[in-house]
Amino acid sequence: MKAIKDLYKAVGLPICLLIGFFIFIAVFGKYLSPYDPNAQNLLKASQTFGAEHWFGTDNLGRDTLSRLIAGARTTLFGVTLVLLMAGTVGMLIGTISGYFGGWIDEILMRIIDFGLSVPSLVVALAIVGVFGPDFWNMIIALAIAWVPIYARLTRGVVAAAVNQPYIESLRVLGASRTRIIVKHLTPAALGSVLIYASADAGVLALNIANLSFLGLGVQPPQAEWGQMLVAALPYLEEAPRLVILPGLSLTVMVIGFNLLGEAIALAKNPRPMSKRRLFQRRREFLKEIAA
Amino acid sequence: MNISRRTVLIGTTTLSGLLAMGLGGSPAFAMDGPKTLRLPLARPAGNLDPQRYVGIFAIQDMIFDPLVQYTRGGKIEPGLAESWTISEDHKVYTFKLRPNVVFTDGEPWNAEAMKWNLDRWMPKADYNWLQVSANLDKIEVIDPMTVAIHFKQVTPTALIEFSYVRPVRFLSPRAVEADGSYKSPIGTGAWKVDSDTPEGTDLVPNDKYWGAKPTLDKVSLVVIPDARSRMSALLAGDIDAAGGAFIAAVSPQDATTLKSGGITIATDTGTDTMILGFNPRRELFKDIKVREAFNLLIDREAICTALMKGYATPTMNLYPDVIAYSGKRFDVPKRDVERAKKLLDEAGWVGEGTRSKDGKPLNVELVISEDAVANSRALGEVLQAEFSEAGIGLTLRNVDHAARHGDIPQFKYDISLFITNGAPYDPYNTLGLMILSSVEPGTDGKLWEDPAVDPLIMRALSAPEAERPEAFQAVATWLHDNWAIAPLYHAQRIWAHGDRVKTFVVPATEYEMPIKGISL
Repeated sequence: MKAIKDLYKAVGLPICLLIGFFIFIAVFGKYLSPYDPNAQNLLKASQTFGAEHWFGTDNLGRDTLSRLIAGARTTLFGVTLVLLMAGTVGMLIGTISGYFGGWIDEILMRIIDFGLSVPSLVVALAIVGVFGPDFWNMIIALAIAWVPIYARLTRGVVAAAVNQPYIESLRVLGASRTRIIVKHLTPAALGSVLIYASADAGVLALNIANLSFLGLGVQPPQAEWGQMLVAALPYLEEAPRLVILPGLSLTVMVIGFNLLGEAIALAKNPRPMSKRRLFQRRREFLKEIAA
Repeated sequence: MNISRRTVLIGTTTLSGLLAMGLGGSPAFAMDGPKTLRLPLARPAGNLDPQRYVGIFAIQDMIFDPLVQYTRGGKIEPGLAESWTISEDHKVYTFKLRPNVVFTDGEPWNAEAMKWNLDRWMPKADYNWLQVSANLDKIEVIDPMTVAIHFKQVTPTALIEFSYVRPVRFLSPRAVEADGSYKSPIGTGAWKVDSDTPEGTDLVPNDKYWGAKPTLDKVSLVVIPDARSRMSALLAGDIDAAGGAFIAAVSPQDATTLKSGGITIATDTGTDTMILGFNPRRELFKDIKVREAFNLLIDREAICTALMKGYATPTMNLYPDVIAYSGKRFDVPKRDVERAKKLLDEAGWVGEGTRSKDGKPLNVELVISEDAVANSRALGEVLQAEFSEAGIGLTLRNVDHAARHGDIPQFKYDISLFITNGAPYDPYNTLGLMILSSVEPGTDGKLWEDPAVDPLIMRALSAPEAERPEAFQAVATWLHDNWAIAPLYHAQRIWAHGDRVKTFVVPATEYEMPIKGISL
């Protein structure tokens, strides 16, 4: 409970509200959206903002608001899946590598280095290219592309923790390998992974939109922001809102996740104090002593 | 901190990048003389060898002349042949060549030049989709200005085929390397190439041209790959006109946008048909009830109004009425979901949600290709929604141009969108290549195949003129009565031009530049 309170304190209300808003519409979107996001009505195509359709309709007469909401759901669902998959596998590899060290570490990390040296989007593109464009292929492709980052991160934390006196003591006390890894090393790494993941969510949301924009991710009729963008491009002049709305949603979500990640990172790992703050602290300290 | 700031940056640049996708560098627009016509090209002119399938048709058409010319409605007029006679048995075509014609390099046009050109491609496997190549017996030079072409069998399409752009046009026999390979675009046409770069092609009038001299003194073609950039160039007055399916296509949506920007839209009845084709080798579509149900689920009227912005006419015919022998118009059925459901029930496809038969769900895959068939993605999504109402699960598979040209002839699809060949190829080509089952599928694949219709097609393709209307009607009626294809619409041909153009005439085919009848 205290951890959550600390986190809330560190992140601040606006960011919490922003992220909370996206999660809320993603979870309850089905009940919130005024229309079926895939229901077409060609006779009501390309309507602008209005009472019947608040954000208008797209070129096939589908309700834009409903599709935006459904898009949030698709994106967040995708991001969560990828982070869970990449995080789990990455942490597993990282912990094994960090704990055992030696040649296991060498081999695993060289593979991971290779993975890191290729841009993740290129890896994802290649995998989708081979297995064909599909939502689940995209998720798996992105997860594979993101594994090295989390493996590297976890390995760093674990390798540093393994030589700490408390782990030594655990070993001396006869704790099993599994116990040390599961109960002590993984939690240590989990913190860093979560911080990184919160900032990474934005990048992933963008990548999902990218792949779908290129026709390699989410397939029609499922609503997704990147796909809404590409479908709306021919109507840029006539109905700019069809491009602006999904673009704006994506931008706000990405910025939200980045601010979240930045805030958490700052709270966990404060910046060194500035000179002014330092002098101020000293004066306070002297005053206290004088008193 | 660093990471997250960078990601914000990546985010914003990607977004703007996505929007700017496809925009090339700014093209070099011509310094316009008063009589220079500036037109856009979606891609560079490419190799203009008239015997290769590479260059842009409309440019080849400006440079190289045909034996005979195709004019609106399928009428054939003299070209490099001044007159011709056809033997009683329709097997020998004798052409009297036009005298005093020279290629732009000074080489004379005569029987020798004609035979040299025809020998380059007749009869060779790559060109046997043309009856004149497949049926060729021999080329006989009667005198320096008379050539007889003998065919092994009746070849009623010969005249139309000799009007095509490639490979049938004539190159100067001197415009080749020592080994006979193509060197430069030297023809007898009204225009000759002044400069040709990947950025654009400039053509100037051929002062030795045999026909009416062009009123323009230059045609400057500039490569603008992105449709949106072409629109802004047109709106800004950097180019004079745009259009042509294979030149720099203007979509119905673009036309609507341009119109509101004060650009004049010139349209002409389309010569082709957008068709939803069933894979004839799938068990599912061997059932006529299924084909009828699919046909009845399509709201053709709404597609034409909303998707095509009114620039299309709903149809149930294989050919629009501007195509010769296209026959009587069939009624376009209203969308009838209830009847379609009943038909599917009768065909054994039953159940709530996605229907199934013998445990197999009714899932079909629609292969779409935005770069091969423009607008096919939106059309696919509409069909997806319309079919799902009757319990048909439709998935879209989006492929690129090359993949489509691989998958379609190999029947790796359930349904797909096809466009008939249009003028000047039809009514012969679409029937002969895309429906006749004895012919190997070409890159466009097969609309349908059934041994039962083959004799009807064979008769239509070889019928003497008097019997053609009836023979073609028999094929059309068979296709219609058997619900063999699902025709959707005839799209209009769209050209857009700015104020600098005083008069404008949409060219007769999609393979020509709008030069005849234009005035600046």
